[in-house]
Amino acid sequence: MTELFNIDHKSKLDINYFNNEWPNKAAVKIHNSLLKKYWSIDNSFLSNSTLSEPLNPLDNTQSTDFNWDIYSARHLLSRTITGATFEDINSCLTQGMHNSVQTILENQDLPDPPGDWVLEDIPDWNSLSTQEKNDIIQSYHSRMQSFRTWWRELIIFDSNNITEMMTLFWHGYFASAFSKVFYPQAMYQQNNIFRTYCLGNFRDLLRQITFGPAMMIWLDINGSRKYSPNENFSRELMELFTLGVDNYSQEDVVSASRAFTGYVTDGLQTNYDFEDMAGWGPWWSDWHDFDEKTFMGQTGTWTGDEIINIILEQDACAIHICSKIYKWFVYENIDQSFVNEMANILRSNNYEIKPTMEFLLTSNHFFNPIFRGANIQNPNSLLLGTIKRLKMQNQNYPNQFFDKSQNFLGMTMFEPPDVNGWIGYRSWINSNTLPMRKAILCSLITGISPFGNYGSYINVRSIAQSLYNTDQIDLACEQVVQNLALLFFSTPLSDNLKERMLSILLDGAEPYDWNINLPAWNAQWNRMKDLLQYMMKIPEFQLS
Amino acid sequence: MKRRNFLKSSLAIAAIGSQIPNMIFGNSKRSRFHWSSITSDKIVVLVKLNGGNDGLNTIVPTEEPQYYNKRPSLALSENETIYLTDTVAMHSSMEPLLPFYEEQKMGIVQGVGYPNGNLSHFRSSDIWDTGSSGDEFLSTGWLGRLLELEYDNFPDNSPEYPLSIQYNSANLLEFKTSESNTALYLYDPDAMYSIITGNYVSNQGNETFDSYGGHELEFLREMDFMSFGYSEIINQASQNAPNTIMQYPDTNLGQQFELTARLISGGLDTPFYRLYQHGYDTHINQKSRHDQLLGELSSSLAVFLSEMEALELLDRVIVVTTSEFGRRVNENGALGTDHGTSAPTLIFGSKINPGIIGSNPDLEQLDNNGNLQIQFDYRQIYSTLITDWIGLPESTIQNIFGNNFSSIPFIDQALSASDNTILDGFTLQKAYPNPFNAKTTLSYTLPREKNVTIRLLDCRGKAIKTYKLSNQKSGKNIFKINGKNLSSGTYFAQVQTGNSILTEKITVLK
Repeated sequence: MTELFNIDHKSKLDINYFNNEWPNKAAVKIHNSLLKKYWSIDNSFLSNSTLSEPLNPLDNTQSTDFNWDIYSARHLLSRTITGATFEDINSCLTQGMHNSVQTILENQDLPDPPGDWVLEDIPDWNSLSTQEKNDIIQSYHSRMQSFRTWWRELIIFDSNNITEMMTLFWHGYFASAFSKVFYPQAMYQQNNIFRTYCLGNFRDLLRQITFGPAMMIWLDINGSRKYSPNENFSRELMELFTLGVDNYSQEDVVSASRAFTGYVTDGLQTNYDFEDMAGWGPWWSDWHDFDEKTFMGQTGTWTGDEIINIILEQDACAIHICSKIYKWFVYENIDQSFVNEMANILRSNNYEIKPTMEFLLTSNHFFNPIFRGANIQNPNSLLLGTIKRLKMQNQNYPNQFFDKSQNFLGMTMFEPPDVNGWIGYRSWINSNTLPMRKAILCSLITGISPFGNYGSYINVRSIAQSLYNTDQIDLACEQVVQNLALLFFSTPLSDNLKERMLSILLDGAEPYDWNINLPAWNAQWNRMKDLLQYMMKIPEFQLS
Repeated sequence: MKRRNFLKSSLAIAAIGSQIPNMIFGNSKRSRFHWSSITSDKIVVLVKLNGGNDGLNTIVPTEEPQYYNKRPSLALSENETIYLTDTVAMHSSMEPLLPFYEEQKMGIVQGVGYPNGNLSHFRSSDIWDTGSSGDEFLSTGWLGRLLELEYDNFPDNSPEYPLSIQYNSANLLEFKTSESNTALYLYDPDAMYSIITGNYVSNQGNETFDSYGGHELEFLREMDFMSFGYSEIINQASQNAPNTIMQYPDTNLGQQFELTARLISGGLDTPFYRLYQHGYDTHINQKSRHDQLLGELSSSLAVFLSEMEALELLDRVIVVTTSEFGRRVNENGALGTDHGTSAPTLIFGSKINPGIIGSNPDLEQLDNNGNLQIQFDYRQIYSTLITDWIGLPESTIQNIFGNNFSSIPFIDQALSASDNTILDGFTLQKAYPNPFNAKTTLSYTLPREKNVTIRLLDCRGKAIKTYKLSNQKSGKNIFKINGKNLSSGTYFAQVQTGNSILTEKITVLK
């Protein structure tokens, strides 16, 4: 990360740092009109409240050693990677729990960036004609498009590793949106930080994010000055990123906002030096508040870094981070005593994330069957996971299909609804998104989507063939139903429901008549397609 | 809707895929919204100004020197405001709402908030949604509790129409009951109907199991069934609505208002609507953004009110704005404002007490964070809606908020109680000729000598001409409208005497 962006910036940085219409009035206008054009449909489905019931506590304390069986293996994969196939589940089972967790948490090499543009200089807006501005901003929007495609491909061609899931988790955690950040370079830089530090040290991650151009723009650190500090970042730093809402005072917000003055960015580079841990240049000397501040009861001439250090000394910090990890990977309603154990691991490992994840993913608590199916899948994992499970990665889906799907379902990458990110769980579901989820999933089979038709080819024969291993032909169809259920459902299916699925697959025929390899393949294929669509339309499909 | 009964009865139907048992809703008669204690056909339209609206630059205390001192760049100048009284002005972007203020259909309640305001968006929104105090954590919404109280055994015992409809946010907390939620999220009724019915699978089994996964599955089944059931009703109302001739602004909020008008005029009995407008968190470069937001709000709202009025539905409707907080008195260094506390609430309707309730905020007596003190608790707004607007007994307030909150007199109870405010003997005949080019004649009849106001509104409901006519005679009067300066299109001619308003649609052809 630091290597990549370690440019001799001190000589180059010429920041049109702050004016009334950052970074340029005409440029912002063009940017906004493109946002409206591409994203005119509602993408603000989400907001900020917790919807889940305060449930009667279920018995999750007495679980002794769980059984490492195919359902446990499935649970581990369904929470850590996008779209585990039938083969993945079986190989995870064979490998054993500890080995599987090691594989899942293995560090990955960073992928090549989506284009040379990630390092492109920021233009001098004031010297450009309207046409030139227009062209540049058009290219910014199409870069974001290819950037989304790039990330999507990383996910659907991924091996059994947690990196992309963690990257998505941190994107929601430090939610920043292109619509305000404006520069694709900054968005890529931030995404690259998530991927680089996703299992690394939280302190490093927090510093990299805080002093990266995207966050500096997103929460108005950029241009905040001594005599009128902006509270936006300092409040969210404590409320959302580190401590939680009741663990700081308004006075702390004011003091922290004074410490976070004098940092600026042009969208690619900043006036912050990671080695000196300080800003530089006239912005720093003129705008940073060098006076004493009292923060969390400690008085000193704090800078942004020192504020972060004081925050990381607070007990609430590790608990807050672990609560969010728990909510993403386990369940919405946290088990406080387990989260406290996680927080102890995080603190005693000096904020290293990997040991904390390893503790979580190998715990009896994580594998308790009461959590199976307790996570309503996010739209991204639902759609891409289904594509992966159906082995349809190589289909040529039009970009529009993904863009519109994400937008309708409320999860456009690089456009989180607000700084709180995607709160997930029941907030994904309403009377609009639930039927839309089903319609979009079914279009993988039919090629007919709510946003227009596109060619789709699903090889149901090879899917079916991979799901039975018996020579007894009258048992094959039952195996197909059983194994599809294992592949797609996290909660147990009743016998009634399995019967119904079997009857769809047979469609009046007898079990011994069912043969996916018969020459009269058409009817068999259609029955298989009907079954897949039926599965996609029942609510169980939404759960992970 | 009786889901559990439905599930039982539907077990007999072997339907899969897109086959839908069409008997579910066909045989039940639609009933009016029935409260346990009274019958009300009143509708509440709540508009959330999401992000924290800057109250001081919405309703401006023009005579407060501190307003100008503390906001050297953001204070609105004289030509950026419209004076409502000698000391109170509104933002000039709200100009489309001025006719409603003048016609006594707009009220302002100053300084609404709660003690010890929380400055977090998320926490403060939760407080407003749940109806809690600043230091209290509730897991159900104030509307959820209200509707649950009025419907024993919700959701089993609820009517066939949704109890509340909301747009543009999946924030259901306000509508959450202990067991379920009372709100339907709506986007486009036609698309919704075909997508829901095309992807609904009946007879999917109803086994439950006691795990967190089982709880989430129950929730999904409930939502699946509810959206399926309501899509039919919503679709009907949307089809029944008269074709609107008013043009709503092509914005997200404009669409929300348009859809609300369609459903109300199509006969949907849903009593609560919640609309959202995002973007009020103006930490930087507030001025142009705030102009635009208030302009969008005002132009959409003005069309909605005009349409309700033209369809003679405004007597049943009240519109109330809310926001999680106002903003700091001092501007910050980025030409914006940080999170604050109290702010004015705006009220619209024909059965309200118009004008300004409460005083201009005191800019000298700020709290420790430099924020305004409150004049009214936000729960007083909710309570007034519950008792004075809907007409539920005062004991309801205690049940919902755990405390009593006194009403604020923004509802005219005398007006809202009477069903018909049109003066006996006051009539408006068809304009002739219509359509017209040069001139058309309006004829109206008065029961006795009265003052009359005649307004010409454009298709967005904006008053383009107002004529005040004093001492018009008893019996038939005529008034000519000159089409010379009007371009082709639809207009409304409105004749008002006292509280009675009659409207006639006229068309200019060139």
